[in-house]
Amino acid sequence: MTALDLTDAVRRPFTGRRVRFGDVSLQVVAGAAAAATTVLVGLITWKVIDGARPAISRYGLHFIWRIAWNPVVGREVYGAGSFLFGTAITSFFALLLAAPLAMGIALFLSELAPRGFRAPVTALVETLAAVPSVVIGLWGILVLGPALRTHIEGWLHSIFGFIPLFGDPSPAGASIFTAVIVLTIMILPIVSSISRELFLGVPHELKEGALALGTTRWEMVRGVVFPYARGGIAAALILGLGRAMGEAIAVTQVIGGGVFIHANLFGGGDTLASKIAASYQGSTTNLSTASLVYLGLILLVFSLLANVTAQWIVRRVARKHGITRGGHA
Amino acid sequence: MPKSGHPIRTLAVLAAVAAVFAAVAVGAGAAPAKHAGTTISGAGSTFVAPLVSQWISPLGAAYGYELQYSAVGSGAGITSITARTVDFGASDAPLTPDQFTACNGCEQIPWALGATAVLYNLPGVKNLLHIDGPTLAKIFMGQITTWNDPALAALNPGVSLPSTKISIAHRSDNSGTTFNFTDFLSSASPAWNTQIGRGVAVNWPVGSGGKGSSGVAAIVSQTPGAIGYADIAYALTNHLHYFAVKNKSGKYATPGLRGMLSAASSDVKPAADNSLSIVNPPAKFANAYPISTFTYVIVPLQSSKAPDLKKFLFWAVTKGQTYGPRLLFEPLPKGVLVVAEKAIAKIHS
Repeated sequence: MTALDLTDAVRRPFTGRRVRFGDVSLQVVAGAAAAATTVLVGLITWKVIDGARPAISRYGLHFIWRIAWNPVVGREVYGAGSFLFGTAITSFFALLLAAPLAMGIALFLSELAPRGFRAPVTALVETLAAVPSVVIGLWGILVLGPALRTHIEGWLHSIFGFIPLFGDPSPAGASIFTAVIVLTIMILPIVSSISRELFLGVPHELKEGALALGTTRWEMVRGVVFPYARGGIAAALILGLGRAMGEAIAVTQVIGGGVFIHANLFGGGDTLASKIAASYQGSTTNLSTASLVYLGLILLVFSLLANVTAQWIVRRVARKHGITRGGHA
Repeated sequence: MPKSGHPIRTLAVLAAVAAVFAAVAVGAGAAPAKHAGTTISGAGSTFVAPLVSQWISPLGAAYGYELQYSAVGSGAGITSITARTVDFGASDAPLTPDQFTACNGCEQIPWALGATAVLYNLPGVKNLLHIDGPTLAKIFMGQITTWNDPALAALNPGVSLPSTKISIAHRSDNSGTTFNFTDFLSSASPAWNTQIGRGVAVNWPVGSGGKGSSGVAAIVSQTPGAIGYADIAYALTNHLHYFAVKNKSGKYATPGLRGMLSAASSDVKPAADNSLSIVNPPAKFANAYPISTFTYVIVPLQSSKAPDLKKFLFWAVTKGQTYGPRLLFEPLPKGVLVVAEKAIAKIHS
């Protein structure tokens, strides 16, 4: 196998007689890059904790669930409760919408689409990932929000208004729902392109074997493709979740703001990231700045958790499928 | 695990985009490359931006200065001058003590006089409906929810008001306009003062937030029944209707030059930090528009560009004021001009 030969070639200089200059410098440069990343993450974490310290010492952990944000000088109270709720609800619903869509796109592009069709559509889907979030946000303000407000939110409210989720629509579509749709669009390309790669990676023998046993295409997908790619899909979804949680600008532009916890998807709200983006500039007091940094710290912890969970799932699945994968590689 | 190439390619694309953005950001932050003359850079208030942009060419003609101004909002302007990435910041709300400390040797100078308009969108209803402070406070506290509420009808006899629901729009970012507006509500309504108060951002009990004056104007113009606030120039350029607001003398004043000047003459003795409060002035200022405000330029007392900065600021508070009226900025009253000039003289290198 070529993989083996390469490994040997790389290993030889270090175990062998002479040390090559190129290899050493590669070692040094790559090592320095890795070390710099680690140091950078450490410094960022330290700086965030340091910046949040006044708020941490003032409010402690109670800050995390308190629902309050009053920046008026002399009556300041800060808490992350409503923003945690906003972050949870927007990313949950965005993921709920994006997951089936992304699976559909990925399946279509890897299994179903005619050959000549795949490359251009794949490229288009991936281009979506390159659209700057501020552009999506502007489109959200000017086009999507008002359109959702007039065509979707009002309609859903008039029919399903008795369900608290579909409450009174807020003006101009500046709502959690608009933020959910914007986030869905933003995480779709990541989840779908990773899933497509995973589906393409399913061994042909397995797929053809299933088809040869007389399964329909859907049965093949359900019985072979999904189980095989399960861990990867979960990881892709969690990466999408991380993106949805951290997105600030586009959400700030469409979510409407407000320190509320309510079930109404069509009302306004704020997420951790959007609150930071909206209020950090020109924050009036040291305590409000520290509290915003504290929000950042909470966000950092949750993003780290999401990433670690994704890696853990991938590793667990890889171990479970160890034999099959090993044989494949 | 199947090795995937595309996620990496996607990452590469994202990295490239990030790199482009970083480059743009660095470009925006760094000093401009061309040195035709001395560049004076500023950032801040969107409120004062139309006036400042009028200054660019006459200032270039008079002194050869290249004036660059980014209308990023008062809050961002304060952040920029605190970090000294610009030569001056501009804010509609006076700095808080914490902000003064952070800015480390800054002073604020009143340099323009403007007004905040209360906007509404009621198709088929005339411009300049009447409103007073307590009613406005009740609307923004969610206690008055429809346009045909008796309180509104009583202020507007003879006008048939629809039963449309009132939709409230406010700023979601930190804004001097919000300060001016909530300052007025706090002054006019004891209930607002005790429950909410004044600030560049407050804890809004109801309504949805728009980013910047443009965000608020967008919500108001797209939503029948909406009410919001923005500087008067914004209302005019976007053809939005605005209220005539009752002042302490009982008169319904419009956010015009006369109303601003009358309000401005109510405070000619600035506080130690040069701030002036002209919101909701006493009844003897009969024509005062009660939501008027001075807006401030924030400069470091010690600047490497001191001579140029001083020359520019002297020009701005004198000659520069003549460009105001067309944009509904009333030129600084004489008393305030004296204060401003004294403050400018303190800048040194």
